[in-house]
Amino acid sequence: MSEEVVGVVSETISLPYTWTAGPVGVRFLKALKDKKIMGTVCPRCRRVLVPARRFCPRCFVDTTEWVKVSDKGTLKSFTLINYSFTGQPKNPPYLIGMIQLDKADTCFFHFLGGIDLSNIEKACKEVKIGMRVQALWKEKREGKITDIEHFEPITER
Amino acid sequence: MFKKFKGGHMRKVAIVGVAQTNHGENLQQTVRELIYDVTVETLAKTNLAKDDVDTVVASTSDYWQGMGCSNVFHYDAAAGYLKDSTKAEEDGALGFMYAYMRVLSGHFDTALAVSAIKSSEISSISTLTNLYCDPFYQRPIGLGDISSAAIQARLYMHRCGITEEQAAKVSVKSLGNAFYNPYAHRRARITIDDVLKSRVVAHPLKELDCCPASDGACAVLIASEDKAKKITDNPAWIKGVGWSVESYFLGDRDLLDVEALRVAAGKAYGTAGIKDPSRQIDVAEICAPYSFQELLWYEHLGLCGVGEGGKLVDEGVTEMSGALPVNPSGGMLSTNPYTARGLVCIAEAALQLMGKAGEHQVSNVKTTLAHSMHGLAGQLHSVIILSSD
Amino acid sequence: MRKVAVVGIGQTVHGRRKDVSFPDLIYEAVEKALDDTKLTIEEVDAVVSGSMPAPMEGTNAPHLWWADALGARSKPLMRIATCGTTGMSIAHSAYYHVASGLFDVVLAVGAEKMYENDPQAVMATIAEPFFQRKFITGAPVIFSFQCNEYTHRYKLPEERVRQATAMLSVRNHTDALDNPYAHIKIKITLEDVLKSRIIAYPIRFLDVCPISDGACAVIYASEDKAKKITDNPAWIKGVGYAGDEYWMGDSDKVQWASAIIAARRAYKMAGIENPLKQFDVAEVYNPFTYQELIYYECFGFCEKGEACKLVEDGTVMRDGELPCAPSGGVLCTNPIGATALIRVAEAALQTMGKAGKHQIPDVETAFASGMGGLNQLNGVMILGKTP
Repeated sequence: MSEEVVGVVSETISLPYTWTAGPVGVRFLKALKDKKIMGTVCPRCRRVLVPARRFCPRCFVDTTEWVKVSDKGTLKSFTLINYSFTGQPKNPPYLIGMIQLDKADTCFFHFLGGIDLSNIEKACKEVKIGMRVQALWKEKREGKITDIEHFEPITER
Repeated sequence: MFKKFKGGHMRKVAIVGVAQTNHGENLQQTVRELIYDVTVETLAKTNLAKDDVDTVVASTSDYWQGMGCSNVFHYDAAAGYLKDSTKAEEDGALGFMYAYMRVLSGHFDTALAVSAIKSSEISSISTLTNLYCDPFYQRPIGLGDISSAAIQARLYMHRCGITEEQAAKVSVKSLGNAFYNPYAHRRARITIDDVLKSRVVAHPLKELDCCPASDGACAVLIASEDKAKKITDNPAWIKGVGWSVESYFLGDRDLLDVEALRVAAGKAYGTAGIKDPSRQIDVAEICAPYSFQELLWYEHLGLCGVGEGGKLVDEGVTEMSGALPVNPSGGMLSTNPYTARGLVCIAEAALQLMGKAGEHQVSNVKTTLAHSMHGLAGQLHSVIILSSD
Repeated sequence: MRKVAVVGIGQTVHGRRKDVSFPDLIYEAVEKALDDTKLTIEEVDAVVSGSMPAPMEGTNAPHLWWADALGARSKPLMRIATCGTTGMSIAHSAYYHVASGLFDVVLAVGAEKMYENDPQAVMATIAEPFFQRKFITGAPVIFSFQCNEYTHRYKLPEERVRQATAMLSVRNHTDALDNPYAHIKIKITLEDVLKSRIIAYPIRFLDVCPISDGACAVIYASEDKAKKITDNPAWIKGVGYAGDEYWMGDSDKVQWASAIIAARRAYKMAGIENPLKQFDVAEVYNPFTYQELIYYECFGFCEKGEACKLVEDGTVMRDGELPCAPSGGVLCTNPIGATALIRVAEAALQTMGKAGKHQIPDVETAFASGMGGLNQLNGVMILGKTP
């Protein structure tokens, strides 16, 4: 039994939050349940923004159209996580990808899967920027970003 | 007309446009979208484009938002994409002060002060305000926003003979005034008795002595003289500002001798040439989340003598019909979007000067006072004097 | 426009400071700054403070807790908090406090006590909870994407970039040995860097900054006051800041708009057209070795894709044409809320000739930068010997 040191206070602060994704966010997340990834279009610069946004951050105007983008895309960057912290979503090692889905002008982030991580140095060499990846959807979907299990490398003709 | 300081002239700066959300509960937009809304509205009202905003100072808070580095979340929502935008945390009034300094410096001609909060996203406000306390001495006692205000109120009753009835008059006035403010959160036609009979939350504070926890956002656009005159026919000129802070530990302070507020008011009055505040100020928007505090702040703002806060409210001086209406908007007892509330007070003080306060417009307004505060029992205070010339 | 200068500096010894509370740490830095300038706290007109998200140390609105330790009682006080750029934003805020004409002497303090909690867990909350938070989890993740992109973009052989970044790591760790305030003081070799554990590929343990406890206090003054307080003020010549949009996947972080624009703004103000020639020292914000290469390009020290050359040629080494981070940099000392302010402090020490063992000879003009957010924010301050 260790003795407590005087003047050293340890506490875990739990502060419950309930955030709303806002009407645009809610619509985007609902679409995930139907295996649809949606973007919104800026009327000025015509970029397709994914995840769907209420307004274009650059032009500062409301987006006007909703479009469906592919669940296939190109890997623009990635990393392999090999460290731990409180509340981490997965136990390391694991891969995260920065993915530009076909038809989207912005990238978004998700797990990369289907790659052998038993030797992480080797795995890092196997993952290539420019690789084509596709979403692996969960069977049971709840309208969360994790309705996609991860993105897997694919070969296309 | 310039103010002189050593080596130069001080620029004249004015508030040229303001916008607020309809403050309330469970607003459906995210904080990011609320900031976008008030920014877009401010630009529309002033007929400006996003590139006319030279710099942005936001005042959100990480704990309140549940996100680290809160301002990154809404950086571009405040027309900030690739702009020099920064954050003065916790109190919209401090964001305003910093925006003012940026324009005064001459490096920027326009600046937007903006804030938003969604109190509804936090299940336990008191758990959050308990976190204002240091982990060693004050936190384990469970002190927070309400309890510290209550201790202050009890002392006020004891030392100055302020009564719960006098404090209740502030609640009646505030919630009643709110009927004439389309942006207000809480409105109610109540009596002193209703306040006295409401549930004791932390003696002597009853439920109706206490602010709500609101969702809301506010934006205030300021501009240097040349720009201001082009943007609007009736700018609200910034005549004097001051802000100051008390010692941290509640026990170190005399909770009734709020030096920080006296110093802040003194600075603002000094620059603005206010020697007799109760005569020279036409309307005041004061940040008083607890009824008793409004009376205490009257005294420190020099609207009455020490210990006379109760007397002022008894005489009806601060009613809409009185000589110095305080909180025609309904104040914080009606609307309390914590980190944004300072900007709301400033916005309301500006609206009065610009003649745009609608149904709660006071007549013949030439000089207004805006006040904000944050921290337990009001640890840090800000005072701004605005005028129509 | 009013001229403003840095007149004094105080830093704590950075590291693991179990011996002091957060306010104690701040008081230590403030006392040192007052000592450095021979000013009394009464002579300070206003105070600007800041740190990383309040949840990092677990107390909300920490400026209120620090009020007494800052000497801010009955003075104007604000808290500036802009993620990793906090220290730079504090520096800018103090500058504008004085430049506004409202104040003549302003105390700027940045501080952090990272050992008090789990910093990555806190930093993971910078990403909103709906789309990004599960994936952008903490600092190394954010920067590792950028690093991989850089290598790929210019089709540089991975080995070459790996070598150059390892050289930067060795440079910083070696230089830190000459800085009495630096946190990490170890002798390392290139081999040590290449063999160190992967943290977030391609970043390895010795490519990345530590977590540190520490505080830095910098006193700013108006021209009149500055000349009375010290014989060699460090004059603020240029200030610049910019931020990208919030969404991390939206912008190019290799040709990094906010970094390029922040520098451009500061350069315009300071009359800098050829940074490599006109700067005598550059305290570049460098928590990750790979990112430093990107910064050399964004700040115009070299052409796009050419940063490795600056390292290979020795240009950015301590005895090179443009010594970068002779203090040991962020790579060896990172109390985040203070870190960018420490860059300004170190740049000031260089122009004032007070950098001791790590003084670069004949510094006329010094560069300092800060970075933060999800690779979103960048700030620059340029200091010079002449007003």
